[in-house]
Amino acid sequence: MVRPLTRFRIMTKFTHRQRARYYQITMYAVAAVVTLVVVFAADWSKIQKNFFNSEIAAEMFPEVITSAVKNTALYTLVSFVLGMILALGLALMRLSSLKAFRAFAIGYIELFRGLPALITLLFVGFGLPIAFSGFRIPGGVLGRGSVGLALVAGAYMAETIRAGIEAVPKGQTEAARSLGMSQTRTMFTIILPQAFRIIIPPLTNELVLLIKDTSLFFILGSTPGTKELTKFARDFMNAERNATPLTVVAALYLLITLPLTFLVRRLERSAAKAR
Amino acid sequence: MTHAIDVRQLHKSFGDLEVLKGIDFTVDSGEVVCVLGPSGSGKSTLLRCLNRLEESNSGTILIDGEDITDIDADVDQLRSNIGMVFQQFNLFPHLTVLKNLTVAQTGVLKRSKDEAIGIARQMLERVGLSDKIHEYPAHLSGGQAQRVAIARALSMKPKMMLFDEPTSALDPELVGEVLDVMRTLAGEGMTMMVVTHEIGFAQEVADRVVFMDDGVVVEEGSPDDVLRNPKEDRTKQFLRMVLET
Repeated sequence: MVRPLTRFRIMTKFTHRQRARYYQITMYAVAAVVTLVVVFAADWSKIQKNFFNSEIAAEMFPEVITSAVKNTALYTLVSFVLGMILALGLALMRLSSLKAFRAFAIGYIELFRGLPALITLLFVGFGLPIAFSGFRIPGGVLGRGSVGLALVAGAYMAETIRAGIEAVPKGQTEAARSLGMSQTRTMFTIILPQAFRIIIPPLTNELVLLIKDTSLFFILGSTPGTKELTKFARDFMNAERNATPLTVVAALYLLITLPLTFLVRRLERSAAKAR
Repeated sequence: MTHAIDVRQLHKSFGDLEVLKGIDFTVDSGEVVCVLGPSGSGKSTLLRCLNRLEESNSGTILIDGEDITDIDADVDQLRSNIGMVFQQFNLFPHLTVLKNLTVAQTGVLKRSKDEAIGIARQMLERVGLSDKIHEYPAHLSGGQAQRVAIARALSMKPKMMLFDEPTSALDPELVGEVLDVMRTLAGEGMTMMVVTHEIGFAQEVADRVVFMDDGVVVEEGSPDDVLRNPKEDRTKQFLRMVLET
């Protein structure tokens, strides 16, 4: 009678740590088995030839950098800047004391957040020129695509900026106004600089999303000089009947987005220091 | 003679809650007036009405004889003449101490950068914090932050200073340094209106003490009269409670 009870006690004493350990060992074992199966079952030469073909990859250079990466970066940057300007205006309208401004901002934000970006791009790229014959947004693919994406990104970023502005303590406004600063000056020299520090992380997410959304520009058509990464890879893939261009381009996307998130972490740290 | 501050029949409500129920009082130029009273008595609201951080519902507020409740009054101009110090300091955390002191000087008063920096240095010296000029507010203690806030208000060369419970957010050992600065300021003849719980400070520095409760001025007079020989029961009760703790 005594024995099982003692054993039970000992078990409960160690069971927590032990269970975690057994769990870990099991998971490692499963992972090892899966890895082995994949390594031996996969047709490596085929995978290498189709996804990691160094000859085809080499053919993509240097155009993939000098043209495709450059275009993706350019499209992203222009869309981001346009979207940011739009978003700032919308955020200020959203917080305005005038009801008409607030209503417009809310309507705009809900509309463009509810639509697929592709639809907006089609509207800007084809809908407008058809409806108003001769009307064309200047700047070719860059102009039409960036305006289209900015319309969408502006809606998302407006909500982010508004949240940032609202996160700045009310005492900041009171202190600035009590020094005689006007409402506008208070907003631009005191509130917005603090708001932007707060929203650097979500804004960077916006930027990363935009980088990826520029792949939708293919819908606007392209000339050899205006292809961004995805379109460039697709055409290359079709010409070579090989998937390697996709792998290369995927790696290049990561090469752009990963340093960006790294940069943000550093910015966050220095912002935290200044608070 | 025009008073520096002249408040007549001031009423203020937040929704259904009437916070100020007809306030009359004056502050003369160079005078230091301490406003005491239990929390919720409306003293902070009264102070905030004086530079229109709160809009009063009725009554008049004359600052140097000018009606500031007038809809055409230039609020920004008015505010740059009235320094205000807050309980929570409200320094601008993204700017250095120097920038905190110059941002409104150059932006609002259109002083040159050099002039603004010169005045900022002078004011920091006045509050004994010249060595903190390039620090960010996050690196200051509460007492230092509040002294910088006072220097920031002084940089505008205001005609009067309003203090909204300037020591209430401070650790007890840091209260003294802030009160010292205020004492010096009072000695230099600054017109001051101080909402405070520091009875000792009021006793020593104030020319006049105003006791408020429930949205009205209950009693006012010299510190000796109000704090040592209060006439009204509500004042007596309040002082008993404050002095016990």
